Amino acid sequence: MSRNLVELIRRHHAVDAPTALEVLKEAVDDHGELTDDDRRRAAEVSGLPEAAVYGVSTFYDDLLAPRGERHVRVCTGTACFAAARETTIERVGEGLGLAPGERGADGSVSLAETVCLGFCHSSPAIRVGDTVDAGPGVAERAIAGETRAAAEPEWVSLLPEPVLVRRSGWSGLRRALGELGREGLLAEVEAAEVRGRGGAGFPAGAKWAFAAKAEGEQKFIVANGDEGDPGSYIDKYLMERNPELLLEGMALAGFAVGAAHGFVLCRSEYPASKPSLEIAAASARERGLLGDGILDTDFDFDVTIIEGAGSYVVGEETALLACVQGLRGTVSARPPFPAERGVYGMPTVVNNVETLSNIPFVATAGTDAYRALSPDTDTTGSKLVCFNERFARPSVYEVPFGMTVRELCEDVAGGLRDGAEIKAVQIGGPLGGILPASLLDTRFDFEPLAAVGCMVGHGSILAFDQATDMRDVARHLLRFGADESCGKCFPCRIGLRRAYEEFATDAAVDRARLEDLLEALELGSLCAHGGGIPAPLRSLLTHFPEELGLA
Amino acid sequence: MATAIRTEAGPAREHADRTASTTCGYCGVGCRLETTAVDGRIVSIRPALDGPANEGHTCLKGRFAHGFTRSPDRLRTPLIRTDGELRPASWEEALEVIVAELGRIKGEHGSDAIAGLASSRATNEDCYAMARMIRAAVGTNNIDNCSRVCHSPTSFAMRKAFGLSGATGSFTDIDHAEVAVLMGVNPTQGHPVVGARIKQAALRGCKLVTIDPRRIELADYGAIHLAPRPGTNAAVVLGLCHVVRREGLVDADFIAARTEGYEALEELLEGYDPAAVEEISGVPAGRLEAAARLYGEAASASLLWGLGVTEHKYGSEVVQLLCDLALMTGKVGKPGSALLPLRGQNNVQGSSDMGALPDTYPAYRSVEDPETADLFEAAWGAPLSRHKGLTIPQMFDAAVAGELKAMYIFGEDVAQTDPDTAHVAAALENLEFLVCQEIFENETTKFADVVLPASAFLEKEGTFINAERRFQVVEPAIDPPGEARTDFEIIGEVSRRLGHDFGWETPWDALDEVARLTPHYAGVSRERLGRHGLQWPVRPDGSDSPTLYDAVFDRPGGRGHFAALPYKAPGDAADQEFPLVLVTGRILQHYNAGTMTRRTGNAELVDRDLLEVHPLDAERLWISDGDKVSVRSRVGRIEVEAKVTDRIEPGHVFTTFHFPETRTNLLIGQSADVNTSCPEYKVVAVDVRPIGEQAAFTPVVPDLD
Amino acid sequence: MTKVTVDGVAVEVAPGATLLDAAKAAERWVPTVCFDERQAPFGACRVCLVGVSGAPKPLPACTTLCRDGMEIETEEPRARRVARAVVELVLSELPEPPAPRTELAQVAERLEVGEPRWGGATHAGEDDFRHPYLAFRHQLCISCGRCVRACDEVQGAFALTATGRGFEANVAAGLDAGFEDSTCVSCGACADTCPTDAITEMGLVRQSGRD
Repeated sequence: MSRNLVELIRRHHAVDAPTALEVLKEAVDDHGELTDDDRRRAAEVSGLPEAAVYGVSTFYDDLLAPRGERHVRVCTGTACFAAARETTIERVGEGLGLAPGERGADGSVSLAETVCLGFCHSSPAIRVGDTVDAGPGVAERAIAGETRAAAEPEWVSLLPEPVLVRRSGWSGLRRALGELGREGLLAEVEAAEVRGRGGAGFPAGAKWAFAAKAEGEQKFIVANGDEGDPGSYIDKYLMERNPELLLEGMALAGFAVGAAHGFVLCRSEYPASKPSLEIAAASARERGLLGDGILDTDFDFDVTIIEGAGSYVVGEETALLACVQGLRGTVSARPPFPAERGVYGMPTVVNNVETLSNIPFVATAGTDAYRALSPDTDTTGSKLVCFNERFARPSVYEVPFGMTVRELCEDVAGGLRDGAEIKAVQIGGPLGGILPASLLDTRFDFEPLAAVGCMVGHGSILAFDQATDMRDVARHLLRFGADESCGKCFPCRIGLRRAYEEFATDAAVDRARLEDLLEALELGSLCAHGGGIPAPLRSLLTHFPEELGLA
Repeated sequence: MATAIRTEAGPAREHADRTASTTCGYCGVGCRLETTAVDGRIVSIRPALDGPANEGHTCLKGRFAHGFTRSPDRLRTPLIRTDGELRPASWEEALEVIVAELGRIKGEHGSDAIAGLASSRATNEDCYAMARMIRAAVGTNNIDNCSRVCHSPTSFAMRKAFGLSGATGSFTDIDHAEVAVLMGVNPTQGHPVVGARIKQAALRGCKLVTIDPRRIELADYGAIHLAPRPGTNAAVVLGLCHVVRREGLVDADFIAARTEGYEALEELLEGYDPAAVEEISGVPAGRLEAAARLYGEAASASLLWGLGVTEHKYGSEVVQLLCDLALMTGKVGKPGSALLPLRGQNNVQGSSDMGALPDTYPAYRSVEDPETADLFEAAWGAPLSRHKGLTIPQMFDAAVAGELKAMYIFGEDVAQTDPDTAHVAAALENLEFLVCQEIFENETTKFADVVLPASAFLEKEGTFINAERRFQVVEPAIDPPGEARTDFEIIGEVSRRLGHDFGWETPWDALDEVARLTPHYAGVSRERLGRHGLQWPVRPDGSDSPTLYDAVFDRPGGRGHFAALPYKAPGDAADQEFPLVLVTGRILQHYNAGTMTRRTGNAELVDRDLLEVHPLDAERLWISDGDKVSVRSRVGRIEVEAKVTDRIEPGHVFTTFHFPETRTNLLIGQSADVNTSCPEYKVVAVDVRPIGEQAAFTPVVPDLD
Repeated sequence: MTKVTVDGVAVEVAPGATLLDAAKAAERWVPTVCFDERQAPFGACRVCLVGVSGAPKPLPACTTLCRDGMEIETEEPRARRVARAVVELVLSELPEPPAPRTELAQVAERLEVGEPRWGGATHAGEDDFRHPYLAFRHQLCISCGRCVRACDEVQGAFALTATGRGFEANVAAGLDAGFEDSTCVSCGACADTCPTDAITEMGLVRQSGRD
């Protein structure tokens, strides 16, 4: 990240200026598209130079497509693909007479693609305004202007005592501010081996310890609510159904490292998340659980809820911080790490929403109890998993680590509906390996999944049924990968495009060339986006080579 | 490839048949440049990665504005005025006329009836040669250079306060300063590479205090901006000193051990509390205090200033007060605590260091000092005048009075850039004989009897000295066009024909002579200068001086000298008839008279002078952006296009002087620095109105705070 | 001081030095495309990968800090394979081969990268020759970021920005209406640093007869 731009933003932040991205989003919300006047105003108000604002305005999906009075966004994520391939966007496009990214001449309706709305349990899904519709007939309703809000299934905990799906009573924060103290809390979190739930699996305790020691005028906690992985709606549920648990987790993080302020960056594709969090924060403030002098101590902590603007890579922590500050959501080389230099150049802890939601229990009940949540494995704590529409009982479930994937698919989610058979499952998101049906007895845990080229990732379990052509899957994943590449590093920026081109037509795929690409991506990419796309492709090459059309 | 030391930026050269490493001839930063030429034309210029001042960067002038060297307007032959018109002539003809006329005038009126003007754009060797010619061949000390109209007050003041005439540190001190005070200087326009360095330092955390009637660009990156009324700088600096003392931020040990004269200053400071300073200058007391504290509390703090300090009636006094501020706090002679006057021209430092001045030899040794005069007499083998010569303003006065009969000017367009154009024109008109040695015809050559075609900085060899006292090598990228010759050759030839042969073959011989005769430059030589130059004083063993005064000041007794100088009003002030105050200055794309830059693509980027007017004034005066307006001062009137902007304060206007059509300096009167005669370009009372309006009763501008 | 070895050569570097600094101290060549010593390291091109003992995969030399005892191998096979693959990809995205004098061409030559195996999309874009000195040839931009960083970290004019995303990424001045309409001060730092002549001098463009 440009140190100078961050410094300019910091100076303007000190006088409460909005970020350039906030101004641009408001402009689009207001009049459906961006003009140069909007960009100039964003520059003036935010302190970001005009050219930089221009760059921001060309990066985020939400700022690019012109909006009509009715802005129809069709989800083209993997769960919606698994349910209906590309037929939904084709049908709606035909019905409205628009290509994606177009607005009708009279300005009444516009069409765009979006990934992902978090309604993977009822794919395909379409968003019109802030209403998300899903399931059979969704395309026709969108064309006819009769979009209605889709229902969302209840989430379920399989644990003897639910943890993540239970409302918080802020007992964790109370205990931390009382008997545990800062050092005690840090020690507990480290001992509990809380691993990041967003995909990287990095120990939260280590991150916090580093940030606690770092020097800076101010420190920040940032909750990564940019759950961009198609097929995953876990953080959505947490932010919308149990927001106080997250806020408590953030306050605990702040207490541990010495931060007085936190940001939640939630995706703009989840229009209900920000309002939910703001209501929860307001309520918490009223009860003295956020703000100055929490629970009558001298600990101050408050939060700001920010919305993203449509970019998958913003889920990467340095890109996330760029987005929080209103910059282009590109990845930055590390060092420096966010714990050393993050928001406004200050030490920052970035944790996934689910990770932070784990902390209150650790603070309340301690390491041993946290460990006991997953009795059959060394991995600690519980995990939220979610299933796509192909399953009989898709929803978010709280499970212990160590169950087999088969148990999760068949016992918990009821297997595929309408008698369909699992061909393969992609676990953890689009960068996760693909597990063929033959390997369903693999245990759902970090090491066992890694051993078969897969990952826990975010925890989504996305099934492809027997009717799915795996070459289509390869093309779908590569298109997603190429579209979402932030464009900074060369292997990903160019390599994903070339990889997609390999599969884009019906021509045979040159395997040797593809392998070279995969190696360059794995070893060369700046972040897990380019670095991770090879994983599912390698799964396909290993388990479904005959379907890929190799030369 | 990449393991070799890369000295130039950018792609490798292709099709180059001549390359050179040289020093830029535009401003006082002194960027090191790598030039590439093909078939006698410059193809590309790139910054040297290892340039000490520029470190791989440069600005549009050094980088791109070289096209003037092959402009069709270039003087390619000598010109002699016949029947009122300048017509081409041969060198032989031209030189004969010069020798004949100068000889005649010297015979009839004495040597002191002749004066020379050395170009601050030319090399040290050119200037030294010119000074030697005027002194030894003509026999007078009437030699001056254009530092007169820019930093002569700095030279005067710093010699008084510290002993040496130059920055006390280097540009790199900016990187180590916690605080930097910028007074009357706009580096992002006038010294772009230094401006960029300051900006980066500010973004890294260096706190800037900008003091200027205009809100300069760096004010947007700074901590505090003070906008004093033009002409009130002394009060502001005294106010800063007052607060520093009041808050106990003085370095008592330093004052005791290394200075003299503090008591007198202390007494004077009583009268300059922030409220009093606000009264005089308009700077809010609270802001002044905050600025003083910033400076005083910093572990390291530097002071930078420019023509907004010097081009005033009491400019030299303000510089002395700035020196006082540094002496009080001990912020001199240490890394990060430097006093950096940003010298304008590429070699204004050098032309003065070389003694192209009426009162000093190289290194500011007085012409009246018997030992020095004897030294040069012996070295040059000619009797030398022992009394001070005329400064430029005095030359014009003497010309108008009929006492000065001839002038030899090289590389300066006085008719465009000196103040009170009408007076300058009258002076030049009244001369019996005027020689101009130039690269283009200009406003001054309109009065010339002989014009000699000379060389641009890209066509000569020698050295420049930049604003950090750094001697740097100049190497030619191309040859002068047509029959034009290098200034060094021309002056050598003229001097020889006047009876004084320098005996030099190349400019390096001249440099060697300077080093031999000047202890401060003793260790300077072509070989030693290499690619990185040397900052004087340079000792015989070649070691140089990035930081001055770390142990002792260069004055008798070794102590820094405090000057107790009260505020006095400037030479001009707004009144009923002339209710606005004009400040003149420079912008990025052009350099001074624009002689070079107007003949390059820079003219496409900026093609005219503009008058900056504040929106409130514009409204009151019925002026819209882009309107042509008349600007009238006590001595002259011009017409120029208005630009409405809030970068300037109400009550002030600003314009440049880059385009001869504008004739900005018609407006500037005779007010000048009391010690050095540097003109007060920065405070001129004017009346501004749309063209065509009759002068009518205009109320005085109300007091604005 | 930190002690490391580069291809067996022992060197000492200052604290905070990168693997690239160490390689330079040992006079060992590491190819780079997005690196410019006047700017902070960016880590975009991934061409500067080197092998480091004990590291599971090659590391980018420009952004990885030296630690005592590191053994750096500049020509580690995977590192060079990836470097070549990346340079090949870059060559494939340009509509024409880079001019021989450009840094990109020289790196490609030294790494012995031939004609790219890739067909596929190349950058569209037009020549912008409006400015008297600076030529903007968007179709040659490889989004290395050097021009943007020069304008940010060296000049401080902030006139340039990266635009777009993914393969469509490019660079623009101001609100994409050319240099003159932006805060550009025509210092040419961008032209100096551009490794493909996407930004270059009009003088050189004229010299090569392209305008």
